[in-house]
Amino acid sequence: MAVAAAAARVWGSSRGLGRVGLLLRRPGARGLARSHPQRQQQHFSSLDDKPQFPGASAEFIDKLEFIQPNVISGIPIYRVMDRQGQIINPSEDPHLPQEKVLKFYKTMTLLNTMDRILYESQRQGRISFYMTNYGEEGTHVGSAAALDSTDLVFGQYREAGVLMYRNYPLELFMAQCYGNVSDLGKGRQMPVHYGCRERHFVTISSPLATQIPQAVGAAYAAKRANANRVIICYFGEGAASEGDAHAGFNFAATLECPIIFFCRNNGYAISTPTSEQYRGDGIAARGPGYGILSIRVDGNDVFAVYNATKEARRRAVAENQPFLIEAMTYRIGHHSTSDDSSAYRSVDEVNYWDKQDHPISRLRHYLQSCGWWDDEQEKAWRKQSRKKVMEAFEQAERKLKPSPSLLFSDVYQEMPTQLRKQQESLARHLQAYGEHYPLDHFEK
Amino acid sequence: MAATAVTVGRLLRLRAAGAEGHWRRLRGAGLLRGFLQPASADGDAAQRRQVAHFTFQPDPEPLEYGQTQKMNLFQAVTSALDNSLAKDPTAVIFGEDVAFGGVFRCTVGLRDKYGKDRVFNTPLCEQGIVGFGIGIAVTGATAIAEIQFADYIFPAFDQIVNEAAKYRYRSGDLFNCGSLTIRSPWGCVGHGALYHSQSPEAFFAHCPGIKVVIPRSPFQAKGLLLSCIEDKNPCIFFEPKILYRAAVEQVPIEPYNIPLSQAEVIQEGSDVTLVAWGTQVHVVREVASMAHEKLGVSCEVIDLRTIIPWDVDTVCKSVIKTGRLLVSHEAPLTGGFASEISSTVQCPWRVCV
Repeated sequence: MAVAAAAARVWGSSRGLGRVGLLLRRPGARGLARSHPQRQQQHFSSLDDKPQFPGASAEFIDKLEFIQPNVISGIPIYRVMDRQGQIINPSEDPHLPQEKVLKFYKTMTLLNTMDRILYESQRQGRISFYMTNYGEEGTHVGSAAALDSTDLVFGQYREAGVLMYRNYPLELFMAQCYGNVSDLGKGRQMPVHYGCRERHFVTISSPLATQIPQAVGAAYAAKRANANRVIICYFGEGAASEGDAHAGFNFAATLECPIIFFCRNNGYAISTPTSEQYRGDGIAARGPGYGILSIRVDGNDVFAVYNATKEARRRAVAENQPFLIEAMTYRIGHHSTSDDSSAYRSVDEVNYWDKQDHPISRLRHYLQSCGWWDDEQEKAWRKQSRKKVMEAFEQAERKLKPSPSLLFSDVYQEMPTQLRKQQESLARHLQAYGEHYPLDHFEK
Repeated sequence: MAATAVTVGRLLRLRAAGAEGHWRRLRGAGLLRGFLQPASADGDAAQRRQVAHFTFQPDPEPLEYGQTQKMNLFQAVTSALDNSLAKDPTAVIFGEDVAFGGVFRCTVGLRDKYGKDRVFNTPLCEQGIVGFGIGIAVTGATAIAEIQFADYIFPAFDQIVNEAAKYRYRSGDLFNCGSLTIRSPWGCVGHGALYHSQSPEAFFAHCPGIKVVIPRSPFQAKGLLLSCIEDKNPCIFFEPKILYRAAVEQVPIEPYNIPLSQAEVIQEGSDVTLVAWGTQVHVVREVASMAHEKLGVSCEVIDLRTIIPWDVDTVCKSVIKTGRLLVSHEAPLTGGFASEISSTVQCPWRVCV
């Protein structure tokens, strides 16, 4: 009778006791304790005064209390090396072989050299636009090294080190920036919008965060294909404010996709500091809101980035679930050649990061303390890398631009009649008025 | 007013099932008797809510594609999707509420047949649905995304215009999302008002790199949808929702393709060319027969079928013959797709010969 009365209270009299024969809720089946929560219909009991809402797995509380967001003492920052490049906790040292660590160092420094030269070339009017990666080289190289070479990369625009780690040649970086005939992208986009099918690096596009839900779709397809690949998706803390970021996180979690979301939190979105970008505890704190395993790492510590990405990759593929890594770093350079950051931040602030907490110098200290690098090698490498970059640069500058007829191809896989007519119209125009155009710089 | 009375009456009848006594008391009291009469079978035509502005004209049974079956438009869509998932193991269908069969029943039975990893719900987020679909397509798998109503496609506009349409071009053909198709119910249905009736094809017409296709009938829908799915460019397939149940005809069971970017002259004539797409094709067919009957005018009727890239040649050839053009569409006049057609046809340098 007590059972019937309780049931009547829960369900209302008009429904009677038809539901008494239900399974009791398993005592342990509360909350999101499992790492892979299944949101199935809960078995509910008519005996307990427990919440039955389909929308949340939680207990009742009878005290009115708002949860206080914790921004004073936020999610801690995982690091392996201190700012002087010394390993803090030896059990976290990845013990990478010398060859690999040297590759980290040479990739970061080569990128830095290429950035200096191409930034300067824009100032001189040789290329139209450029974006440097100063200060963030550790985020690129540490994460790229932890992936398989066939893992698909979706980037934003400040991840050139990932491509460089995958041995994208200087010639092709330059070709894209110069928009010359060697550019795989056929000269159509602004500089730094790299792409490489062979190296599984999806072509960059300017709109921010659009790559995030796309990366999730690619991860879903990889899961269906049993490809044993992870998809990694890079974006900045500014782009994380876009609706597409929210969409991507939610889809990745609900559809159980093997994806690593890698946020480069570098302190600024052009001139907008993080205090104006978000009010919560950065991007890492958003992950749990979506049901995503999340971590915050020191982005200037290449080993911390490496360890976190490696473990995220292993689990994402094994468990088909997303991971969120927020790599804290600092954008030492301007947003782009169209920006002068002295307008919104002090030179002292920039110098601090350049001098006191730079991924390249921290790794150099580590290398030196291992006896794997010294000043002489440093001097020789600087000279050699600069020479390589200058050679590629001079060659890129000499090449022609792609033919104007390429303005019309690849809009569709096949060229529709209307576009063919426009192409022919342009050809006739150039035939008649070619002297007004710098046709000598273009392939026919 | 009469329409309102009938609607209210119908609503109350539905609720009466659980509150019989209450309903009878109201009727008996005579307070609202005249107001709440249920619609009778032989009721006044003007009182009926469902007075469509057209009569669907089925096409003759197609004989060249094998056995046919009577299908309405949503069943034809289901058939196309079924054929696609059977033929292409990478194909997946996703969107809001597609798992249980969809709000217009276009995906009924597909999840049971092909599995929950191939026919699945997504969270309620159109920009996510399209972005996710692009990502699937980038890997080479076939992505069939559903946007629940064309009126809600706008959050995905950035992904469609800035991403999907430009993927191949901007990458120098290193990457593309050609295996993406977006399906969406489109057009007026009578009671849809502002947000369940829109025809947004003109917004997308301005975007090179995508194809936009609108069928007039179940047979056209299946063949055009299959072509969209197999096409190597991202396609948007708008399905006239008023035709989902109202349009019934014989449709082949096996897959078949109707080519994209080819308009169809469905009736030949000599005095004027009438161009339309989707539901309006049936209106324009009626107009053609009225014009013939009352004015002795011979109309050539063209169903455009693909909005972009559109079949300039067929339309121009027809107007060269008739000398006159009338384009009719549900979407707003200013900037509507009729303006593209009429300006192309009128400009001597753009008209084909």
